[in-house]
Amino acid sequence: MDIEEMKKNADFLINNMKGMDIPGSTTVNIRYRNMVNFAKVYGITDPKYVGPEEEGVVACHAFANYFTIKAIYKLLLGFKLNQDGKERGIMLDPGKLLHAGNRFNWEGCVDVKPGDKLTVSGKCIDIKLIEKNMMMIADFLVHVKNQNNEPVCNITISAGLRKGGY
Amino acid sequence: MVNISELKVGQVLKNEFEGITRDLLKQYAKASGDTNPIHTNDVIAERAGLKGVIGHGLLSFGFISKLFEDFLEHGKYGKIIDISVQMRGMVRCGDLLITEATVNKIEGKRVYFAVKQTTITSVDIKDKEGKIVKQFEAGERGYISEQDIERGLVKTKEVPEGTLTYRERIATPGEAIIELFE
Repeated sequence: MDIEEMKKNADFLINNMKGMDIPGSTTVNIRYRNMVNFAKVYGITDPKYVGPEEEGVVACHAFANYFTIKAIYKLLLGFKLNQDGKERGIMLDPGKLLHAGNRFNWEGCVDVKPGDKLTVSGKCIDIKLIEKNMMMIADFLVHVKNQNNEPVCNITISAGLRKGGY
Repeated sequence: MVNISELKVGQVLKNEFEGITRDLLKQYAKASGDTNPIHTNDVIAERAGLKGVIGHGLLSFGFISKLFEDFLEHGKYGKIIDISVQMRGMVRCGDLLITEATVNKIEGKRVYFAVKQTTITSVDIKDKEGKIVKQFEAGERGYISEQDIERGLVKTKEVPEGTLTYRERIATPGEAIIELFE
């Protein structure tokens, strides 16, 4: 793909994605085993995070990675746009995807517990092309709620797509 | 006991983790569901031009949240409100990962921190004649670039076996907010 085509594709994505809700949502079922295994990676031993299920264990904060990244990736892969009469995905090559940053906000949020069914939805809040290296940077605001519609975490994900990826 | 009157601007919370290994990356891949083989398979990572497996970008984030969970004694003295991180540098097996959070503002019960994670990547140890007496993975696989040297990230220090060459760089800068109960 030449530079002109990349710029054309970048302009198309910038004009169509900024401010757009990612269509649909995805559900993540939270299992006790997954929560505890995740906490153990970090050597967490506090029973609040790794204790017996019946004693009211909750997910450690790092566990937000588990349900967010997988869900947003799934949503983005299913996000299609129509460019010049042809359907295209946001990413032409997911192998060019880079994770640039994350912001996790738990203000007013409740804990994640085993058995929760989390719903993840997102919106593209910013997208731009860095012409120096032809990297596209997109920011997604992701809301995660439990089965009672209570927020469990709000995340801003910054992702980069290297040239050839868009 | 942690309360707001005991905290001061400039105070630093810190943890160090020396256990970034291939086994840990496999454990994280399994636990997180991020099974991209560049984190677990050296051959595939080399094909991708990475010279060896790299840590998952968000693996290191967990050490930041753990720092605050430990400080707050798992919710006993307060709660984590917000953590933001930027992934700047790759974390490699054998790295020493140092997580530091410095208090830069206190407002009411809220404490604002500047966060940074630094990696110390050992390259080799040389004796007085300049002969390598110990080589680490970074030296064997060539993780240190010319750019690292130009940017002054490669340093030396004396250790019992000789002169240690290592790279020190900020892998993850960020910010955090916690809220204390008292």
